Amino acid sequence: MKRTVLLALLTAVILMIGSGIADAKTLKLGTMGPLTGPYAADGNDIKNGAQTAVDVILEQGGIPGFDDIELLPQDTACDPRQAVASANKLINEEANGVVGSYCSSATLPASEVLDEEDIIMITPASTNEQVTSRGLPYMFRMCGRDDDQGTIAIDFMQQMLDTKTIYIVDDKTAYSQGLADNVEKLAEKRGLKVLGHEHVNQGDKDFSAILTKVKSMNPDVYYMSMQNSATGALMLIQSKRMGIDADVVAQDAVYHPQLIEIAKDAAEGVYLTFGFIDDNAPAYKEFLNKYKPKYGDPGAYSGYAYDSAMSYLKAVKAAGTTDPVKVKAALMKLDYDGATKHIKFKPNGDSGSNYIIRKVQDGKFINYWNPATGKLY
Amino acid sequence: MEYFFQQLINGVTLGGIYALIALGYTMVYGIIQLINFAHGEFFAAGGYVGVIFMSYLAAQGAPIWLCLGGSLLLTMCYCAMLAMAVEKVAYKPLRNSSRLSVLLSALGMSIFLQNGLMLTQGVYDKAYPSELTSGGFEFGTVMLSYMQIFIFCITAFLLVALNTLVFKTRIGKAMRSTAQDKIMSALVGINSNRIISLTFAIGAGLAAAAGIMVGLYYGSVRYDMGFVPGIKAFAAAVLGGIGNITGAMIGGFIIGMVEIFAAGYISGEYKDVFAFIILIAVLYFRPTGIMGENIDDTRV
Repeated sequence: MKRTVLLALLTAVILMIGSGIADAKTLKLGTMGPLTGPYAADGNDIKNGAQTAVDVILEQGGIPGFDDIELLPQDTACDPRQAVASANKLINEEANGVVGSYCSSATLPASEVLDEEDIIMITPASTNEQVTSRGLPYMFRMCGRDDDQGTIAIDFMQQMLDTKTIYIVDDKTAYSQGLADNVEKLAEKRGLKVLGHEHVNQGDKDFSAILTKVKSMNPDVYYMSMQNSATGALMLIQSKRMGIDADVVAQDAVYHPQLIEIAKDAAEGVYLTFGFIDDNAPAYKEFLNKYKPKYGDPGAYSGYAYDSAMSYLKAVKAAGTTDPVKVKAALMKLDYDGATKHIKFKPNGDSGSNYIIRKVQDGKFINYWNPATGKLY
Repeated sequence: MEYFFQQLINGVTLGGIYALIALGYTMVYGIIQLINFAHGEFFAAGGYVGVIFMSYLAAQGAPIWLCLGGSLLLTMCYCAMLAMAVEKVAYKPLRNSSRLSVLLSALGMSIFLQNGLMLTQGVYDKAYPSELTSGGFEFGTVMLSYMQIFIFCITAFLLVALNTLVFKTRIGKAMRSTAQDKIMSALVGINSNRIISLTFAIGAGLAAAAGIMVGLYYGSVRYDMGFVPGIKAFAAAVLGGIGNITGAMIGGFIIGMVEIFAAGYISGEYKDVFAFIILIAVLYFRPTGIMGENIDDTRV
């Protein structure tokens, strides 16, 4: 008898605690990106960027209705299978929204899984066209698109470098090869001569054979489409040593402070296509003030990750709930100046490309050419 | 023709590096019939320790020859000691167990060392001081950098030194006899444990030298850099006839050359495939590898 009473009491206590937890709601924001492996630098940038957005929102008083915002960082290692596993893990941990991932080859399968559970995903870094062209209702993108990026690279080569011949090298990822193929197609359409399109393997360190080929072809422009900035740096060091004097044009995945750190002098004069970021914009300064003391100089995608997380949190705040339909409606209504760009999503989930040409000069990335005006900065 | 010569230079440089790593595989196999899968990690560790020593020496304002030579020597010693420690912990207790358990222990050690590097050194690339590696000779359009000459010289020196050690000295004689018959050599007064330790140390020292040269040549090192060259060097050792020192050197150069020429003349995408096709072809027609024979005394 005594035991029954005790048991009933215990049950009551557990139920009370249980309901207490249910009342204390935590908003769970997942992030996906490669935290280990060759692309770890970019994955950590994404995690840190999203964390900074969470910190800022919490400092501003959080989101009404939620006690706390928790970040759930997942490692995709840029591997499609691991990306799907991470997506499932986030579903199990009941993440409300996801910022990620980095590699398009990881984002594409992971987004299918998340979409089945109606979880909103905003990618800060995947530029492959298919990310938003599949018609997934809950897929958004903060960065630009490869087709726009390729067009601007070719525009720049023709208008500013007076290019007649180009040589293309990529490293066979969905992203880097997709972009390189775009550039090749467009170059041929515009009357440029493509002297060759070679592929290297991910993780290669020795590019001497390929670079010897490039040198013997003597192209005007050497188009370097690498998924990884450290690999890009190795390639630049080796091409400098080989004595290749073609102009080097690279893309946004090669864009990272570590490119200059490793390649040093060899990086001088490299042109890169990258989204325009106004360093003087108040939102960017606010982001930088929060980010820099904690993590150092922001990486290529720290800002985009910050804006992605910020947009999601703002949308939840506006909707007052995490219900995906309502959050999506709020996301589509967003219209504000983010740290990296003006944020206004299009019906397909894209936020628009704003690629410009940046150049490495005196050990720094500088804004170099504006394709909209066709003029130098 | 200039194109060919440039690729030849590239191939010899890469081949020399593979040869140095392959020697460690072959020596360890020769003496205790173990394929030391942790060997690639000694190479990676060499690259890391090298950059630490070199940056330190360069920051102290040491002249270039001291930076290169000093850090090379220190790194080789460090990795030799690391290898001896690994041997004590992971292989010695299993000396009399089945070969499979030692192999698993080697795989485990490889993962342990790689993760150790990752946790202590971070996931980012570490850059070598670049001012040491610039410059070179130019013959027409063919470039021969100082770094490549440095790699040729050091590789050649180490290969000759190793050959002299193994075939001309008492220690070498002890190594060869231990490889032939551990029990009999112990009976005539050779401390086989010490000889095995020494073999590990020498192999790891050579791999560390390769690691530091790769770091200098390519400009940076990363914690997982040991895996792919480790596999290629293992292939080189097998190609040359595992257990055979001369074979490992030749195998290393063949793998390096095939890789570069396949990338230069056929396709960069499939260069690894060609290297392994050669390996399979050689093993198919000559299962003991190029220099491998069934007579035991050619082993270490």
